[in-house]
Amino acid sequence: MNRNYILLTVLMLVLAVGTLFLTTDDEPKQIAPEELLQEIIQPTRYVTTDQVAKMIIQGDPSLLMVDVRPAAEYDEYALPGSLNIPLEDLLNDGNLGYFGVPGIKVVFISNDDIRADQTWVLTKRLGIDGTYVMKGGLNKWMQTIIEPAQPNADAPSVDHELYAFRKGAQIYFTGAEAATPDGDNVEVQVRRREKTNVAAGGC
Amino acid sequence: MGPLIPNGVIGGGWDFVIAILLGVAFGFILEASGFSSSRNLAGVFYGYNFVVLRVFFTALIVAMVGLLYFDYVGWISLSQIFILPTFLGPMIVGGVIMGVGFVLGGFCPGTSFTGIAIGKLDAVFFAIGLYVGIFGFSLAFPLFENFFTSGNLGNVTLTDLTGIPAPVFAVIFTVVALAAFWGTMFIEKRVRKNMKQYKF
Repeated sequence: MNRNYILLTVLMLVLAVGTLFLTTDDEPKQIAPEELLQEIIQPTRYVTTDQVAKMIIQGDPSLLMVDVRPAAEYDEYALPGSLNIPLEDLLNDGNLGYFGVPGIKVVFISNDDIRADQTWVLTKRLGIDGTYVMKGGLNKWMQTIIEPAQPNADAPSVDHELYAFRKGAQIYFTGAEAATPDGDNVEVQVRRREKTNVAAGGC
Repeated sequence: MGPLIPNGVIGGGWDFVIAILLGVAFGFILEASGFSSSRNLAGVFYGYNFVVLRVFFTALIVAMVGLLYFDYVGWISLSQIFILPTFLGPMIVGGVIMGVGFVLGGFCPGTSFTGIAIGKLDAVFFAIGLYVGIFGFSLAFPLFENFFTSGNLGNVTLTDLTGIPAPVFAVIFTVVALAAFWGTMFIEKRVRKNMKQYKF
């Protein structure tokens, strides 16, 4: 027997059997680049902080807020009811199962738009619909909802309506500042009536 | 990355250049494998020379396994390559005609030209017959046009039809091919023992 033939036979067999262990199917399916570009330039992929605030206040059940910042930042401050899925963990532990549920609007939140946008692009490339980005992120949230700026007196009435809404939302999210002090801490100041007629003389 | 032209890695004008290079390489390999001799080619039908089977089966399993690895490392996308449509009945009939022509003439179309290249007279006659056949086929085409286009299964692969993943077929074909290589080696030895004279 020619030794080369045996060697080549074994090599070919090993290579062929090796193809059984190639896993190409677990590569995620992607949408076409043209489609992604179409979606990226749509302004409707953004929601404003006001819309988010309104939905939270109304208890909109179709809203799912996903905070994509690292867990440490999430622990420091986060919107009430938001879910923390850091961008790095997006594809881990079945996290993708939260997205693409019919009728659920997923809103990505980060400090600004950037991380949220990155997350949005990732989910879009995977062909998941119903994901949005909170425009301006938590920075914008702070500026508009937590510390809304009062419009000028001559500003259009819509601005004043918006300000009124934001002011209300501010109270909702920060808690109203107590107008009356707590009962426990009230110091009762007893004002004694001055004695005016002590030794003032006879009748 | 690949396929190169559909993905715009190289321009579409290159396909003729690549075709010429591949043609030269193909012709060279055919000649180098001894395919320019009609005795070698016909030998597969008489059992004294299985070089045709070995060369083509080797090309087949190397290309098949190689493509799977290329796809895995991302050099070529198997989802983008052209798959020849399958016409079941016409292909079986065509295969039988091809085989009969092969054993009668001692060449297949490609090998007849390698035979011409080294000056074989029988290859010249085979090529003349080839062109006469093409001419006759073209003239008679309307007679069997319906059959020619019947049984179209589309651009299907075995994986599409059966749902069995491609690597399984690759292993099966490789095992069959390797078994055929070794099996035919013994057949050759036996048949040649009884032959008085055989010149390649």
